[in-house]
Amino acid sequence: MISRRDFMVSGITATGVGITVPPVFAKSVFAATMEDVHNDRVLVILQLGGGNDGLNTVIPYADPAYLQARPTIGIPAAKILPLNAQIGLNPVMPGMKKLFDAGEVALVQGVGYPNPVYSHFEGLYIWEHADPTMQQNEGWLGKLLAGQLNAQGHALTGCALGQASTPAELLAQNATVSVIDSIPTYQVQGGAGRRVGAPALYKRTPGIYGALYDQALTTAEYGIAALADSQSRYTPSVTYTPQSTVYGSKNSLATSLQLTAEMIVTQPSVKICHVVLGGFDTHQDEDTRQNALLAYVDSAVSAFMQDIANHGMADRVVLMTWSEFGRRVAENGGKGTDHGAAAPIFVVGKPVKGGVFGEQPSLTSTVDSGNLQYNVDFRSVYQTLIRDWLQADPTSVLGASFPELPIIRTA
Amino acid sequence: MGSANVKLSRRQVLGIAAGGVVGAAGFRYLTLKLPGGSQPVASAAGPAGAWASPLSSARGLAAHLLRRATFGYTPAELDAAAAMSYPDLVEMVVNQAAQPLPSVTNPTNHQAVVSAWYAHMATTPAQFPERMTLFWHGLLTSDYRKAARLPFVLQQNELYRSTGRSDLRTLINAVTYDPLMIRYLDLEESTAASPNENYSRELMELFTLGVGNYTETDVREGARAFSGIRTILVDASGRRMQPPKLKGSTPAAYAQTVEQLLAQGATFKGVLARTQHDNGSKTFLGHTGNLDPAQAFDIILSQPSFAPHIARSALVQFCTPNPSTSLINTVATAFRTSNFDIKTLMRSIFTSEAFTSPDAYRSLVRGPADYMVATMRALSRPDLAATCVQSGAGMDQILYDMPTVAGWPSNQGWVSSGAWLARLNFANRVVATQGSFPDPVDAIHVQVDGVVGPDTAAVFNASQSDGDRWYALLASPEFQLK
Repeated sequence: MISRRDFMVSGITATGVGITVPPVFAKSVFAATMEDVHNDRVLVILQLGGGNDGLNTVIPYADPAYLQARPTIGIPAAKILPLNAQIGLNPVMPGMKKLFDAGEVALVQGVGYPNPVYSHFEGLYIWEHADPTMQQNEGWLGKLLAGQLNAQGHALTGCALGQASTPAELLAQNATVSVIDSIPTYQVQGGAGRRVGAPALYKRTPGIYGALYDQALTTAEYGIAALADSQSRYTPSVTYTPQSTVYGSKNSLATSLQLTAEMIVTQPSVKICHVVLGGFDTHQDEDTRQNALLAYVDSAVSAFMQDIANHGMADRVVLMTWSEFGRRVAENGGKGTDHGAAAPIFVVGKPVKGGVFGEQPSLTSTVDSGNLQYNVDFRSVYQTLIRDWLQADPTSVLGASFPELPIIRTA
Repeated sequence: MGSANVKLSRRQVLGIAAGGVVGAAGFRYLTLKLPGGSQPVASAAGPAGAWASPLSSARGLAAHLLRRATFGYTPAELDAAAAMSYPDLVEMVVNQAAQPLPSVTNPTNHQAVVSAWYAHMATTPAQFPERMTLFWHGLLTSDYRKAARLPFVLQQNELYRSTGRSDLRTLINAVTYDPLMIRYLDLEESTAASPNENYSRELMELFTLGVGNYTETDVREGARAFSGIRTILVDASGRRMQPPKLKGSTPAAYAQTVEQLLAQGATFKGVLARTQHDNGSKTFLGHTGNLDPAQAFDIILSQPSFAPHIARSALVQFCTPNPSTSLINTVATAFRTSNFDIKTLMRSIFTSEAFTSPDAYRSLVRGPADYMVATMRALSRPDLAATCVQSGAGMDQILYDMPTVAGWPSNQGWVSSGAWLARLNFANRVVATQGSFPDPVDAIHVQVDGVVGPDTAAVFNASQSDGDRWYALLASPEFQLK
């Protein structure tokens, strides 16, 4: 048996050479109360992984160049759900059309940034770090959490839901993030001894991962405690239809959004929720694949918005979609499209001022041999959501100021 | 159970504490005496101080190598390794010949293949070939999703096992004609008239050169060079056959038909269909000509960024989370000079000072598959293979279903609140299904060198049964690191 008096203490701190400490350091983690939480507004980020084809999502059906560029995967005007005389939604998105007609969707056209990149991983990095120069090493939501929304370190203020790893957007020094795949599995299994003993293994781990471990396990401990009775306090008011077989998606978006609703309804400190649906890298067979994915997005987002409204929380929640890039104007030989540039994004919720913002980029006057020219910098959307929705300061997150969009209703 | 002989006893404590101090309050921790005995020295520190590195002892260094070049070890394997000189041990490891994956009953079922692979990783004495198979799977990525009811996952797994320790020119050539890769990165639809860019881009960005070392024009021109690659079915004598059609069949019947063909000796293979290949002149990475795939690879391999890209990818998985430029260049030079010999690459990593220095000790995080296989090996529990298949998702690693073509996170990227709960719960499940346990104090010495932090010592010592003691070990931060 080792007792404390057996320990010998030396005051030497060894300094590593060539090894840097991970970017996240331990900090105190707060119980999930409302104490010192900024306000009760929630931003849900829906990432469409792989590069969603904007031109087959929001279709410029009045432009003859559209069907010329897409003779096999183009969607004929007769099928489109028109938003106005120029553009309309993919026919698999009736839910989004209904929300748009209710004035709860701000559709921002032509979103991108200067000198677009066509790599998934550079594109992701740029959007995740809000930095087309790729110099920043902290995620924009992580910075927002650590610096403003969650300086206290509440366990459940920043959440990645329906996934197992921390999304890069949420990674920053001192950003506390709960990564919850599902509440039933977000437990220490094996009885009371394990529930105490397992986190106790990770409080003072020597070496370069010690702080990261402490943070992860302490966050888990508080989160588990806060979520212990959440299922008795939330019942979905709508039917979510989980699908795990939508081609290439790898995530069950409906399940993730139901979990998001449960978090928002039961946890007062929740402010940022990140969910993801992959599979949008449609180099091939885009007609069937993207339609299946967009239909899934449409039904899951519609169910989520309805559920939030039924729980009386519609005034608290805004959802934003994003993807690392849009796709090439012209289709390729495999009924697909290759990596492209600017694309539309959706900002959805009752607090949103609905309508179409930005401009549909020209399909014929393009950049880099056939890619859409952006006209709204994606950081304009970020800035608008940070200032007008979350009521925080965008400059410390974005490092510069961008024109804002009038997409949030003023009370 | 619960008697004094299963505690970490005073007699076993060497008492060297290379403990760090942060702020006013220092944390104390202990190391246990290592058999073979040189003094532990402090390694890289975090806020709670540094681990005391045992790498200056032969046994400590052998265990360190085996945790990284393999999926851990049984006590007997560690004893054998510790008896060898370190250079001899490295040679033995990198020259291990692969053992084939035992026959899979349903080769068209990817989960059956992955389960068989987990069991093989847990049982084969040829550990290094399996570790390299996993490494290449994480770098030259493919998922199963476009190849349902086809034997392509099994085929790629076998390719990485057979060719993953040859030279990278041979491996990259073979991967480009691998049916799973052909599907995954859309080579199958790429024609001269309309070349698909997916493979060309990811080959350069992720597999070989790294971003910034090619242009968008190179992506498009490369796509032309790789156009026309197709998967065909050949019979046992090599004659081309018509593949069965899914249309008009049921998925189960289709899979059965495919499995019957395989049983008769038919195989799928990638070929360059000349009529679909763009035979025009291309300018790719500064070289102009009617380039075919093999010529395009030669051009890629001649790029100065190729060897450092591979060296860095391997170093992050096997050596240090943040390799220095000089370390990358040293390893890259050895790799390039050997004409991209993979054993040379790995030997140069395992014998580098960065690998054997105290700072390397516990500087890497075991990935989920690595952690689960190491657990199976520590307890000789290959029966857990199916559990591993199910448990990977919560830890964010499903074999043959990576989140993106960039593969999985590494090291600190694995650490999140949810992923760690999944690891703890895996340990719980393992312990709950174990009959009797090997001596847990021995296991502390064998599996984690007897170097444990104060938390693990406290939880271990407070445990009331061998199952709880094994849980403390398997769930501990020490066992998650390598």
